[in-house]
Parts: sequence; C-alpha cells; structure tokens
Amino acid sequence: MSESKFETISSLVDNYRASKDDAVTEKTIDEMLKDDDLSSSWQNYHLIGDIMRDEVPSSLQIDVSKQIAQAITQEATILSPNLSALSEKTPEKSETSQVVATRHTISENVVVAQNRFRAKVSKLIKPLGQLAIAASAAGLMIVGVQQNVVNNQLENTVSPSQVFPTMPLAGYANPVSFNYQTKTQQENIQSQKEAAIKQRIAQQRRFQALLTDHQQQVKLVAGESEVETKEKKY
Amino acid sequence: MKLLSLFLFLFSLVLCGLSFPVNALDSENAKSWLERLSRALRQLNFSTSFVVVKNNQAEPYHWLHGVNSQNEELEILTRLNGPRKDVLRKGTLVNYRDPDLAEYSVTSKSIIGPIPAIFSGKISELEDNYRFISVGRGRVLDRAAQVIRVVAKDAHRYGYWLWLDQESALLLKMAITTRKGQLLEQVQFTHLDITEKLPDSLVKLQSAELPKEIDLQNKSQNTALSWKINWLPVGFEQVKANRHRIRSNKKAVEFMLFSDGLIDVSVYVNASHHKQRAVEYASYGATLVLNQVVNGNEVSVVGKITPNTAKRIAESIGPASSINSLID
Repeated sequence: MSESKFETISSLVDNYRASKDDAVTEKTIDEMLKDDDLSSSWQNYHLIGDIMRDEVPSSLQIDVSKQIAQAITQEATILSPNLSALSEKTPEKSETSQVVATRHTISENVVVAQNRFRAKVSKLIKPLGQLAIAASAAGLMIVGVQQNVVNNQLENTVSPSQVFPTMPLAGYANPVSFNYQTKTQQENIQSQKEAAIKQRIAQQRRFQALLTDHQQQVKLVAGESEVETKEKKY
Repeated sequence: MKLLSLFLFLFSLVLCGLSFPVNALDSENAKSWLERLSRALRQLNFSTSFVVVKNNQAEPYHWLHGVNSQNEELEILTRLNGPRKDVLRKGTLVNYRDPDLAEYSVTSKSIIGPIPAIFSGKISELEDNYRFISVGRGRVLDRAAQVIRVVAKDAHRYGYWLWLDQESALLLKMAITTRKGQLLEQVQFTHLDITEKLPDSLVKLQSAELPKEIDLQNKSQNTALSWKINWLPVGFEQVKANRHRIRSNKKAVEFMLFSDGLIDVSVYVNASHHKQRAVEYASYGATLVLNQVVNGNEVSVVGKITPNTAKRIAESIGPASSINSLID
C-alpha cells in the first residue's frame, strides 16, 4: 500500500497524475501529507528533482515546512468563523464563550477536535482567500501599471497645482480608442477630449519650458554678477 | 472687584512692558541663528542627504561640503533620482552637469540648488524685505532643533521656516508656506554627518580639474528691451535683461530677471501667434508659473511668489519708453 503511495507521490512531484488511478484524490493527498514518512519523502523527491535540475538554493532550509505546519495549527483557531463570535457581547454568545472556556479547561480533546474542524474549514477557505488575494494583487498591478504610464507622461511636465487648479482634471482617459462609434456626437465628444488633452499637453510644455529656462537663467546670473563685481574691482 | 480690575490692569502693563523687548530680543536672536547657519554652511565639513518635496513628488539629493587646507570651499550636490544632475564647486568655480545641457562652469560663490544661496551668504541683505523670528524648539532628524521663521514684510512673498541644529546650526529642515500657513514646498534632511576631515569624494574633487568657466561677457551686458515692468514688490531689483531663445521650444523672448536677495523672478515677453489667451497658472512647489497672451504678446512670470503678485507683475508690463532705451 505504502509503496504505491510512494509511487504516486513521485508521479505527483513530476507533475504527472495517473489519470486511470482514481484513488489519487485531494483526500488521499491530504492523507499522504499527514503521514510524516510520506510527507518527508514528498519533500525529498522535490529536493532530488531540484538538484537534478540544478535549482538548489544556496542554503537549504529543510525544516521550514514543519515550522509552517506548526504555525498553521496555532493559527487555525483564529481563522475559524466561530471565534469572532466569542468577542461579541450578546448574552447567548458570552455563554458559549464560557462554555468554550470551560471546554478549554476541562476537556482538551474536544477543543482539539474543534480545532481540527476549524482547520478543515480554514483549509477550504485559505486557498480561496489566497486566490482572491493573488487575483486582486494582479488586478492592482495592472491598474498600477496603467497609472504609472499616465504618470510617466505627466512626470516630465509641470503637474497642475493643488492650490490653483486651472483646468478640470476630468476627461483624461483613453486618448486613443478603437471602439466603433457610429454616433457623430460621441465622435465629437472624443475629438473634444483629444483637443482638450492636446491643449493641456501644450500648456504643460509651455510651463515646463519656462520653468527650466528660469532655473537656467538664475544659475547663469550667479556667474555674471560675480563677473561684474570682479570688473568693478579692477 | 475693583482690586481685581486694578490687578488686571497692572498685569497687562507688565505684559506690554515685557513683550516689546522680548520681541526685539527674539529677532536679534533669530538673526544670530541665521548668521550661525551661514557660517556653518561655509566652514564645516559635512556630508548630508535631503529630500525636496514638491506637489506630490519627492526628489532626493546628496550634498557634500568641505574646506580644504588652502581654505578653499569644496562642494558636491547630486540629485539621486532620475537622470544624473550634479553640481561641483571648487572655490568660486561652479560646474553644472545637467543631462539636457552640455556641462558648463560659472564663477559663483555658491551653488544654485534647492536651498537658497543667501543662507550661506550675507543674512543682513535680507533684512530690508524680511523679518526673522525665533519660534521655538523642536526635534528634527533626531536632533534638537531651533525653529526660525523668515517672514516677508509684505504679502507678495512666501515665508520660510528653518529648523537649525542646536549644536552646529546646520539646516535640518526647511519649509516654504503661504502667509496663511499652507505648506508649498519642503526640504527634509534625512542624514547629517559633520566631520573633522574632508569627505572622501571632496578629496577626489580637490585633485580633479573642472572645466573653465564659460564666457559670459557677451551675454552679461544688459540689453535694452522694448518691454518693461512697471510694478514690482518693494525690494526687487533687476539683475539682468536680455534677449535669448528658450532652449526647449526655440522661442525668442525678451527676458528680465529680478531678485530680492532670497527669491528670483523671471519675466518673459514674446510675440505669440495667438491673439488672446486667458491667464494660466501652474505651481511647482512654491514656484509659480504664470502665462497669458494679451494683444498678441505672450507674457510669462516665473518665481516663488504668490499668484496675485505674479498677475500684478504681468499686468504692469508696458512698452519701454524710447528715451530710456536711448540711455541704455
């Protein structure tokens, strides 16, 4: 039995699941991971694979998974939905909290069982949550990149003051669009927008040119006044 | 009741009597702090970093200063983000290295950068247009700091707040605010090392050969222009006037530069292909850029002044009288 499990682990490590073998389900994987021997061999196979592919990190940290597992079992209670109810002050729930408290003191086994249940719940929730986080992070990155592009365009120009906004900031999106717009009105709006943007860019250029010239002239003056005073001295 | 009012009266008398000398003392004290700052900026060996915050952007700089055995000042100012911008100074030769321009050197006693040059110069030159007030103490950059305000005597200019190191009198923070206290621009120092010896980079600079100063003799002559400004805030004086082309858009402009010792104001006049354009403002930190077209003439004002001041300067423009131009 265990031999075959080692084999399935090996195939799983190689990212290959025997399609015929229906026995390899999430459940069996869970069980395998619970088994210390099997999980250590899972780790070892990965290590072997890494070594063969020459992807070994400079320092091996083999014990980390155990530490993580420990941390997870400690954290499992926090993630369970029941716990949040404990803090609420309704009499019923305070009763249950008392019950839980007594359970903690009297029978640890029950708590352990509860923890397991919670751990399972959190196991279900966790990947979903992680997926959601990953998705939202990716979304943010896309938004961020888009914003960055806009910002970069503006960065070299004088940004409008917060003190004296002279031009409305709205209507600054999509300077180019490939949408089919049959209505001339929409096109008009579009071209107006583009004109406004062009005007804005021209304005920014004017400001930028003036600003840099001003700074430049000030630097040159520093030299000239010195030259003049020198001339006066002689 | 009578006794109480009498007491109050006496108390207020005492207060009045006290407050005037205290104020006078305060400004004297503030001035001496600024003079200490000026000395420190010229005499100390220091290596420091600061961040300039304008609008929503932060620009970090590295600044080194030292005095060598020949009593010559050495200075390096480097912008740390984006394209390299360096300023090197050896005595009175200042070398600007700007990515947009060819490297050039000018003769000057100070670097023109985010920190006004006057703070390392003669503080008393500011006294005509600004008052100095010692505000109190604070903690900046993990040091005890003395807070000094440089307040404009009129409403046309902004105020400066300076946080000076109690020990060395060096600058730890600077803020430019409107008269109502709105923050426009900030310089926050993030690190300060005062050393006995010259910093290493300055030792290297000492042996480096800087390019010679560019010939400004031709440009320095104040040319007679066909336009002039009829109003300026008290204390501003014309530093130069010329015709030149703006580098980036090749516009030929008539240019005037004014200074009150602390801030510089540029005025540009040129013909425009537009007939009229309403006043446009933009501010970059405390620096305001105003631009408008009136009767086919584009007038622009740039400087660390309030929008109202800039507008008034722009509106005061008029043709220079022929007599004046003949004298020039």
